[in-house]
Amino acid sequence: MSDSENLEQALNEHDLSTEAALADVNEDDDEDEDAEPITAQKVLDILETAWTNEMCAPELLQHQTDMLELMLSQVAHMEEQMKDLDKNDFRFVVHQMELERIRYIMASYLRCRLQKIEAFTQHIINQDETRDAADKRLSSEEAKYAQDFAQHVDEYFTKVATRYMPNQQRGEAEQRIVAPNLMSHVFLKANVAVSGVIVGVDDEEVDLTPGSQHIIPYQLVADLVQKNQAQLI
Amino acid sequence: MSRSNQMFGDNAFDLLKDLKRSAQTIPAFDDDGVRQVLEEIKAIFEENVAQASSYNNSGDRSLWPLLNYRHAALQRNKRCLLAYLYERMQRIKAMRWEFGPIIPSDIKQALCDPEVQFFNNYSKSLASYMRSVGDGQGIDLTGNLRPPKSLYIEVRCVENYGKFELDDGEVVHLKKNSQHYLPRAQVEPLVRQGILQHIA
Repeated sequence: MSDSENLEQALNEHDLSTEAALADVNEDDDEDEDAEPITAQKVLDILETAWTNEMCAPELLQHQTDMLELMLSQVAHMEEQMKDLDKNDFRFVVHQMELERIRYIMASYLRCRLQKIEAFTQHIINQDETRDAADKRLSSEEAKYAQDFAQHVDEYFTKVATRYMPNQQRGEAEQRIVAPNLMSHVFLKANVAVSGVIVGVDDEEVDLTPGSQHIIPYQLVADLVQKNQAQLI
Repeated sequence: MSRSNQMFGDNAFDLLKDLKRSAQTIPAFDDDGVRQVLEEIKAIFEENVAQASSYNNSGDRSLWPLLNYRHAALQRNKRCLLAYLYERMQRIKAMRWEFGPIIPSDIKQALCDPEVQFFNNYSKSLASYMRSVGDGQGIDLTGNLRPPKSLYIEVRCVENYGKFELDDGEVVHLKKNSQHYLPRAQVEPLVRQGILQHIA
């Protein structure tokens, strides 16, 4: 565990800059809640949770652009600092390793989202259109990517096949929409006590105690994951 | 239909079976197969249209089952054909992640024009997404594919590559069969391209 403690120390050294950055973000978003001081460790925790949730959930979850941007600037900042360190210093190796890990988490997280976007393109675009600007699942970059991707796929299909088909057979694009199976089972860990979660078709209720683990169809607990009352493992 | 032992949909199904059985990264685009399926779709459709109009005139309900049967065959053909294209598309996408933005020439021969175009489009929009992520700082998502286990890895050169400069300015000569101990993050692309081989 010395690695993470080391990181924590290193990261805490830069808390001030992170707070400033976060204040910026909050200003941009016109959020009226108080800018709570947030440590780099906290950002990492949030990202890690988002990452595991994203990996386990069948559908696309809320994007984490703010956290990701914070972390990216933090990583850049740390890299800057590390240039002054002696390369043979033990701390250098540890920090470098930790940075690699963080980078992997971020890359893997975004990759996972792209995979879902590519698999369920039309479904995700349609769903996001019905949502308010505040709780769109796609970040603006992802939205553009999804649109582009849908268009390219369509172009490809048209060029190779559908334009040679009889007119009445061409449409039916809505038949081709792929949606994720929300009833697939996931592993879940409760963060806080939640009572009366309905499981199964016959309205059976279960109380979740903090830290308890369950296997449960995703759709029944999707809102708990959304509200961070539980996390997927 | 004149062909004796063949059923509707056989051609389309063959397309899929061939694709599934091939061990290559991506087999050559089956131009003939696709055209045959498209022709079959067209033929079935025209027969159906002809019969539907005669049904409208005569009101002969005995034609119903045949119409339905043809419609089902048509749907099946279409579905198989699109599945074939979709699967190829998945493989083309995987290639972008594996080989980077340029298609190796031996694989390019196996693709048809729209597929090459799709690859280029896909590659472009992926690149512009990676650049725009994180407030314009950009992340290379095609790196960091595996969880990092150690900072440095031992690699062996499979072919002569020449000089390779590391981030800190150090220059390494990558000669065939030489072994090096290098930072994983920087040599990962070379390992994926097959120039270096990761040894335990």
